[in-house]
Amino acid sequence: MVFTDQDKYIIQLLKTDVNKGFRLVVEKYSKKLYWHIRRLVILHEDADDALQNTFINAWKNIGEFRNESALYTWLYVIATNEALALINKRKRNASVSLNDIGSYLAYSIEGSTWFDGDEAQVKLRNAILKLPDKQRIVFNLKYFDEMTYEDMSKVLKTSEGALKASYHHAVKKIKNFLGGN
Amino acid sequence: MKTLNEIPRENPFKVPENYFEEANRRIIASTAGIANKVVKTGLYRRLRPYLLAAASVALLAVLSYTAAKIFIPGTRKPGIPELSVEEFSSSYIDDIDIRTLENSTDPAALSDEIPAISKPEIIDYLLLENIDLNDIYELL
Repeated sequence: MVFTDQDKYIIQLLKTDVNKGFRLVVEKYSKKLYWHIRRLVILHEDADDALQNTFINAWKNIGEFRNESALYTWLYVIATNEALALINKRKRNASVSLNDIGSYLAYSIEGSTWFDGDEAQVKLRNAILKLPDKQRIVFNLKYFDEMTYEDMSKVLKTSEGALKASYHHAVKKIKNFLGGN
Repeated sequence: MKTLNEIPRENPFKVPENYFEEANRRIIASTAGIANKVVKTGLYRRLRPYLLAAASVALLAVLSYTAAKIFIPGTRKPGIPELSVEEFSSSYIDDIDIRTLENSTDPAALSDEIPAISKPEIIDYLLLENIDLNDIYELL
């Protein structure tokens, strides 16, 4: 991930005027982070909660952000952790077994006011929900966000090789599911 | 049913009208009253790169001095007998009680039997070792 000029400006502004700099961070990244979270938690209300928590955590720890990683990957780490925390909380509250959470989330798609996909898109989303949580994140980041494996490796703290293998497996499973296997 | 390539990647999820503008306002408002960890640029932080460089140079000097004392002839202390590699190896092996060695060795480790492992287990293990999936399939 190349530092954009705007990111460099934001990082500099965070050191001199943290409030103004953070406002720019929110404006630039809220939409991207929201959709990343939404694809994981499905429900709009949950995604909204997780997005808010993401930026609150980012604000609290903004002084610890180092230039070693891009602002973008740093925020994605926080957002991913918030989404996973919400999913785990839902598992506990709903007394759903770990294997059934995918079905539970799929049910949320069909009943949701905020989903407007056709039959094929419903089936695709259900197929993605059948993947284990971490593999689902890999698939979403690659397929929908078109994130490079290099950046993904920093977000998920996993080697690029393992991520490539995981994505390859995920695509195979989804194709099998869509094909009715 | 469509294949994965035939399903458009467009986003089927929706949000309420003006959601993002409203969410951004809420986020900024909610962080207003929360203290953040602001980086302080004190004297130590500013001098840290130079201190690290000085520490590296000092460490290099100590290592060089130690290496010189060990490897340069004439700097060793007298009185320590020198052993060749062959003399050292044979004296070490002679001191080992072979029966004690046999008793302390796990029989399973010496077994000629190969435990049965399924192909999926092999693939999972290799994936954990960060082996490229394409390489795995070529081998299999």
